[in-house]
Amino acid sequence: MRRLILTVYVSAALAVLLGAATGWSEELKIGAVGTLSGGGTEWGLALQRGVTVAFDEINAAGGVKIGGKAYTLKMIMYDDAYTAQGGTTAATRLVNVDNVKFILGPIGSPPALGVVAVTNPAKVIALTNGYSPKILTPESKYSFRMQIPTDYFAPAVARWLRQTYPKVVKVGIISPNDAVGQTLAPLHVEAYNASKFDVVFDEKYDRGLKDFGPLLTRMMARGAQLLELDGNAPGEAGLMTKQARQLGFKGVIIQTGGPGLEEIIRVAGPFAEGFLSYDLFDPTDPGVQGYVKGYHAKYTGPVPGLSVVWFNAARVLHEALKKANSLDVDKVRDALENLGGTPTIFGPVRWTGKERYGINHQLLHSFLISEIKDGKVTLKARVEAGP
Amino acid sequence: MSVDLLVPIFFNGMSLSAIYILVALGFTLVFGIMRVVNFAHGEFAMMGGFWLLFLLNWLPLTYWVVLPLAAVLVGVSSLLPEQFVFRPLYGQELPSMIAALGLSVVLAEGAVIVFGVHERNIPSTFQGLFQVGRFTFPEDRLVVMAIALAALAAFWAFVRFTRIGLALRTVAQDREIAEAQGIDTRATYRITFFLATMMAGLGGALFAQIYALSPYMGSVPLMKAFIIVIIGGLGSVPGAALGGVLLGMSESFLATYFGASVAEFTSFGAIILLLVLRPWGLLGTPEG
Repeated sequence: MRRLILTVYVSAALAVLLGAATGWSEELKIGAVGTLSGGGTEWGLALQRGVTVAFDEINAAGGVKIGGKAYTLKMIMYDDAYTAQGGTTAATRLVNVDNVKFILGPIGSPPALGVVAVTNPAKVIALTNGYSPKILTPESKYSFRMQIPTDYFAPAVARWLRQTYPKVVKVGIISPNDAVGQTLAPLHVEAYNASKFDVVFDEKYDRGLKDFGPLLTRMMARGAQLLELDGNAPGEAGLMTKQARQLGFKGVIIQTGGPGLEEIIRVAGPFAEGFLSYDLFDPTDPGVQGYVKGYHAKYTGPVPGLSVVWFNAARVLHEALKKANSLDVDKVRDALENLGGTPTIFGPVRWTGKERYGINHQLLHSFLISEIKDGKVTLKARVEAGP
Repeated sequence: MSVDLLVPIFFNGMSLSAIYILVALGFTLVFGIMRVVNFAHGEFAMMGGFWLLFLLNWLPLTYWVVLPLAAVLVGVSSLLPEQFVFRPLYGQELPSMIAALGLSVVLAEGAVIVFGVHERNIPSTFQGLFQVGRFTFPEDRLVVMAIALAALAAFWAFVRFTRIGLALRTVAQDREIAEAQGIDTRATYRITFFLATMMAGLGGALFAQIYALSPYMGSVPLMKAFIIVIIGGLGSVPGAALGGVLLGMSESFLATYFGASVAEFTSFGAIILLLVLRPWGLLGTPEG
């Protein structure tokens, strides 16, 4: 009898110790898909880091409490190699092998389309990013897009440019001759025309071109006063900026999309002065200091702007789990849809997209216009998105 | 055609020609003397860019020391493949061509392993703008043109007025006769390869600083060198200079007025025409 009592006491003590070590919590696996190889690696790393900072913060505060039980969030991430096939493979593995019910990512239309092709039929929630309109359709009951696409921010940027540079009329657009350039350039033409600009030059070049002199000379001969560089990788945008200034172009240079200002400064040097860019993150903003601190506790170097989008996406998912108080996918989806007004790093949650995509699963957020001044990235304006 | 357009087109054409000539000179030299079509020539240009980046970052030396040093280091490091890849295949055009192709892949992928696949930027040493009337000319391009001109003149003087240059010309004309006259053809080949890759390294370093540096950047200079030596005549040094100017200027004019695709189309169209009508190029000599 004494042995039995001793065994019960020892077992109870072990259970207490084990419970204390794990915080009485279970793990909740959250899938993540991002590019971790090839040219888009920086995007995948931004996603991984933004989500990691958010999960660390949530877990340090006791995790997410659902039905009286605390769960610590654990990320399981796979590489999509920035391809649709890679996105499909990663999502299939997460859904069928790891049995996750919630996925964050990826970035970019090809892998995002690959992911939603798996997650929607499997009734798995995917918080994605990518500019293709096909990512959100009336049937995308379980897909949400966490960053505004070009057709939301380009008109807002054009309106801001109209107000800020009233004397500028003629616009030149130079973009790569691939799916990215062919998709984005018409959106910019439409946005600039709507804001009473005159697009006098809209030309494409083959990726890999390094000497943009002839293209820029022709653009300048048409009298362009503003050069739009969206769709270009930061390295190419930097080279074009440098060569345009060397040729004597004195107009406005802007990249409405794909922020990569550090790279622009590296490539164009002093010729980057005055360069404008769509941006997501102002490291001096008091509202983001908590995130900056959390990021630097774990990582070195400048905070990637895109990482904030994924920090925000992870926090939004956390809020939805709390609100649903359930791990049931439909209940969490409904909670996500009803999160309107919940404060986030980008301001209160606002869902839109019904008119454009047939479903209100597009997160609307404000964004920034950054300017390179004295070799540093500075905040020029805060802009409200919208068509 | 307004002067406002013609001046930048001409200037851009001349700065393009300067780099093309430097790279093409070495390419034509190796073929003219060693009868080797060096497909790895572009990768030696790439090495010039990486040496320049490395030296600028790690040695407290002036640009005017670092740039030639980078070119010389490319020449020195090329002596290894010269000994182990090309020397056993001298006189065998097809096997040496295939070996060069393999070497180009090894060098490019080796650079990927060592430096990574990302494109890099070498900060410009000359960042000012030179103003003449209403025209602006970037200092870095002017410096490139001056360096190319000086290198071309030095190279021409070396080949024309030195004993080694005389030996190079003799071997180019007839290897057996040269050997019968006591010229060490092995040493001549080594010097040729060194000079050729050194010029490629110089061109590549200038190219990388003006545009961008990456392990795969060698394909563009190689393609341009091919076009130039076919226009000018494979093995002809004055032909390389003429071909470089023609290619640079035509690319600048055509790309400005009709786009890069038309410029490329015309370059290759001209090559096909030349190969049909005058296969030995504008300044080359017909074989046999």
